Amino acid sequence: MESKKEIKQTLLEISNLFASTENLTILKGVNIKINSGEIHAIMGRNGCGKSTLSKIIAGHPSYEITSGKIELCGNDIEPLEPEERAQSGIFLGFQYPIEIPGVSNLEFLRVATNARRKFLKKEELDTFEFEDFVKEKLDIVKMDSAFLSRSINQGFSGGEKKRNEILQMALLEPKIAILDETDSGLDIDALRIVASGIKKIANENSGIILITHYQRLLDEIKPDFVHVMADGKIIKTGDSNLALELEKNGYDWTDEFINKN
Amino acid sequence: MVNENLVDNIVSEPYKYGFVTEIESEKISKGINEDIVRLISSKKNEPDYLLNFRLNAFKKWKELEEPNWADLGYEKIDYQDIIYYSAPKQKDKIKSLDEVDPKLLETFDKLGIPLTEQKRLTNVAVDAVFDSVSIATTFKEQLAEHGVIFCSISEAIKDHSDLIEKYLGSVIPASDNYFAALNSAVFSDGSFVYIPKNVTCPMDLSSYFRINSGDSGQFERTLIIAEEGSSVSYLEGCTAPMFDTNTLHAAVVELIALDDASIKYSTVQNWYAGNEKGVGGIFNFVTKRGKCIGKRSKISWSQVETGSAITWKYPSCILIGEESIGEFYSVALTNNLQQADTGTKMIHIGPKTKSTIVSKGISAGHSSNSYRGLVKIGSQAKGARNYSQCDSMLIGDKAAANTFPYIQSQQPNSEVEHEASTCRISEDQLFYLQSRGIEFEEAVSMMVSGFCRDVFNQLPMEFAAEADKLLSLKLEGSVG
Amino acid sequence: MNIIERITKGDENISDNKSNLQKITLEKLRANPIPNSKNEIWRQTNKSKFSRFLNYKFSNDFYYPQIPGHSKIENICRIFIGENKKVNLKERNWEIKELDEKEILKFLQQKIFKSDDTKNWSNLLNHFLTDKKNIVGLNISGKEIPHLEIICNSINNFFNSKTLIIKIEEGTSANISQINIGDKNSALSISSYINIGEESVVNHGIISYGKNSSHIISTLNVSQHKHSEYNLGSLQFEYDFGRLEININQVEGNAKTNIKGIQITKNNEQISTYANIAFNGPNGFLDQLNKSLANDRSHSVFEGLIIVPQIAQRTDASQLSRNLLLSNYAKIDTKPQLEIVADDVKCMHGATISQLNEDEVFYMRSRGLTLEQASQLQLRSYYQEIISFLPISKERWDLLALLLKDK
Repeated sequence: MESKKEIKQTLLEISNLFASTENLTILKGVNIKINSGEIHAIMGRNGCGKSTLSKIIAGHPSYEITSGKIELCGNDIEPLEPEERAQSGIFLGFQYPIEIPGVSNLEFLRVATNARRKFLKKEELDTFEFEDFVKEKLDIVKMDSAFLSRSINQGFSGGEKKRNEILQMALLEPKIAILDETDSGLDIDALRIVASGIKKIANENSGIILITHYQRLLDEIKPDFVHVMADGKIIKTGDSNLALELEKNGYDWTDEFINKN
Repeated sequence: MVNENLVDNIVSEPYKYGFVTEIESEKISKGINEDIVRLISSKKNEPDYLLNFRLNAFKKWKELEEPNWADLGYEKIDYQDIIYYSAPKQKDKIKSLDEVDPKLLETFDKLGIPLTEQKRLTNVAVDAVFDSVSIATTFKEQLAEHGVIFCSISEAIKDHSDLIEKYLGSVIPASDNYFAALNSAVFSDGSFVYIPKNVTCPMDLSSYFRINSGDSGQFERTLIIAEEGSSVSYLEGCTAPMFDTNTLHAAVVELIALDDASIKYSTVQNWYAGNEKGVGGIFNFVTKRGKCIGKRSKISWSQVETGSAITWKYPSCILIGEESIGEFYSVALTNNLQQADTGTKMIHIGPKTKSTIVSKGISAGHSSNSYRGLVKIGSQAKGARNYSQCDSMLIGDKAAANTFPYIQSQQPNSEVEHEASTCRISEDQLFYLQSRGIEFEEAVSMMVSGFCRDVFNQLPMEFAAEADKLLSLKLEGSVG
Repeated sequence: MNIIERITKGDENISDNKSNLQKITLEKLRANPIPNSKNEIWRQTNKSKFSRFLNYKFSNDFYYPQIPGHSKIENICRIFIGENKKVNLKERNWEIKELDEKEILKFLQQKIFKSDDTKNWSNLLNHFLTDKKNIVGLNISGKEIPHLEIICNSINNFFNSKTLIIKIEEGTSANISQINIGDKNSALSISSYINIGEESVVNHGIISYGKNSSHIISTLNVSQHKHSEYNLGSLQFEYDFGRLEININQVEGNAKTNIKGIQITKNNEQISTYANIAFNGPNGFLDQLNKSLANDRSHSVFEGLIIVPQIAQRTDASQLSRNLLLSNYAKIDTKPQLEIVADDVKCMHGATISQLNEDEVFYMRSRGLTLEQASQLQLRSYYQEIISFLPISKERWDLLALLLKDK
């Protein structure tokens, strides 16, 4: 048996990232570094660029990196297609998971899982093996297997959509998971299910970024680092106490910060 | 339960604008031929290029066939039995409103469009057209301060002939269709608007068309040019007296929008529709089209069509400039034996062009109401989008509602969506309103204006209120 | 002799062999040898393809076709039109018997008599050309009837013409699949008539599957009586020129019609569907979905018309046209139309033309699917909705595989 090493590996490193969409600069120099085993929270007002950041990491075609770098385990991911990023271990939990009528959830999950497994040089699963595999994971988010036979997210409630996202995260075993406002639109019970799912999936070898502007998710999952974002930059970084401070004092001070600079 | 008898008990509100103004007018003899075209042109002292324009159009008209494809039934029009020029007799040159025949001023007063300085509407400039000629245009000087030209097209032909020569017929060529050709040959008057670069027109502009004479046709012509970065909102209103013969109205409206310009064109059409037996009324065969030449330009048509025995009208947009926008919002209400065939054409030529069509048809009595539309996405219109919604409401079981949407796309990177539905006023909904103490008729008109809300929201304030009132008047007693 | 020559010059010397029906239709055709291109239902038709359709030599021969995408035979009753075998099947619960010749001709003459000639060219042509050997007329009654499979094919280098008439007796439920197979360089005219008695249910599938340079005009004429239900699934692909005309008449209203069809065009092909649904009584129901997918330089056309006269109160009809345009050079025309003169009705129609949804593709790609896989999944679901509606078992006809293979 290999002995556990305490040496952390850098999973995701973003340096001086500028990005724009339709000639509008949204990210203005983001720096962040995430090591294995760490949970980071990015907080900030609507429109500060948090969601953009997550979409750029996942490779959304509407955004363009104008300068700076994103590295996954030391490799620049800019040339990678969205699916290649996913296969190499980047996972984005969408704030608004899209409904895709007619496309079977089970079929979709299987193809996605196998694409990731192929990348990891694991054996691909046939239909029967996959059904067993997915059923184990269903427990993590307390989902019924009936969800599998439905179309992707179609007719799902807000909570069901988010649980479906976490299920996908469990299946794909990403190196780095970015969860964009996974807590929005959830009641407290659904939030607990989602949060406990995330905690079960989190491990020593992977990193998680939680994007939120509320404390309530962070009550459930305690982050190691909290970053405050404003006007396309990270303007302050601290530990979980920073989130509590934000909860108490709000974001008004961030405006002052922007105006000063 | 909806009470059947109400239909017969409450006869529709009599047509409010059906009076005739007793005024001596100058008419030319009936019929059309080359001499008549020359005569009209000479009466207006027109330059040669315009006479040639007319003569060419007349030649085209003779070659064209009267369209019969629209879903309309009417007796053949005898084009030799129409008077092509009729003008109220007045002094040759009118210098101010004081010189206008008081009877004419009184007429417009009665129509709710006072023209004299003391009474005129303060927020709208009006061009009043009576039969074949423009009587007066208000606020001309004030508009001129901003460089805005607002005058009758006859004046524009004299004073701004460079603009007329450049743009007249550039959107709707004389050969476009039968009625456009006829109009191009014999048009008498109409409005001309020019908004210079980067000017937002300081007030709404409006034309009011009044047909007074029973045996003359009305062929007005409107041309609006919005230069780069300018914008204008233009309103058009129409009424006519009650005659038991049919009167032909064949107008042409051309709009031109250059880069970043926007034109909003609203119509409330309330021509006399004929009586409940279908006798009399206006034949309204109109060609309206806008050309979005400039990038990010926008042309928006909104119309409330309640009058005319027959309406044949498709205000359209040709979207050439990149990211240009075309809109069409329409309410067409038909009652008794009215027939309406209306809709739009959105021709997407430039990339990222967008269009929206919202059409609401309400048919009551024995009337027939058709939506006919064309959405065409050309092969260069990458990223083009269209959304169309066509809803019909049927009142009574003898009215007809037809929808003929035609969609053509040659560009995969584009999206076209058409939705249509037909409904009636549900008894449950009426009952619910009535059980809250709302009168039956009130409930119906609430439902109808609810049905039309998407379109009314697009109308300028004064018009929206008028349109709402107009609809409820027209509908009175038609629910069964 | 090509088809037009047969019509205009006539073959007087063999006219003695012709049935009365053939004589009547010839006369009508001579008035309009080819359809007027100004007529809305022919306006979009590609003229050179249409003239190729008419330019094959006529033949009334029959050869067994090769049947694609098909495996073993189960409990099934299979008929080839033109094979000239007697059909007379009878079990305790059901019966399929042939209609006699006189009955068939009388039925068709009535249909010709009643219809508007300017809109009925395809059927007129069919009835003029089809000889009695190539007409199958069946009377079906009873319950638990085995699946009926009717195969209709054209022969390489020839024009074939066939007619199918099916009379469904009251209270019968039947599954019928009609497979039109086009050989390469061939033309086929097939007119089908289905008369559905009261309280009957018919599940009908029409699969028109050509090879390169196949041409087809297929008409389907359905009369539905009270409380009947008609479910149609249709699939047209691989035709250089394909045209399906669907005419459904709910003769007394009070019936249910469900239609789901798809047409797929590639290369330079043109495939069109014309649907005309008439409600001639109250309480009718229609749910129609027509999908098309156009690739390369192809052209896809859909034109639908729903007619709701005053007598058809409480009609509930919906017609949707969903189209995918996958190439810069392809073209889609769609025109779903409504004509309504009854106030207590619920009618809806809609049309969309777009490409595969980009957000959906991105979502799937963000989960590691390739662009190719994501599009395949979308196409599969796009096809599946129609295919699962066909009354044809997947084991017997793996249509999805057939459709996806040449992607």
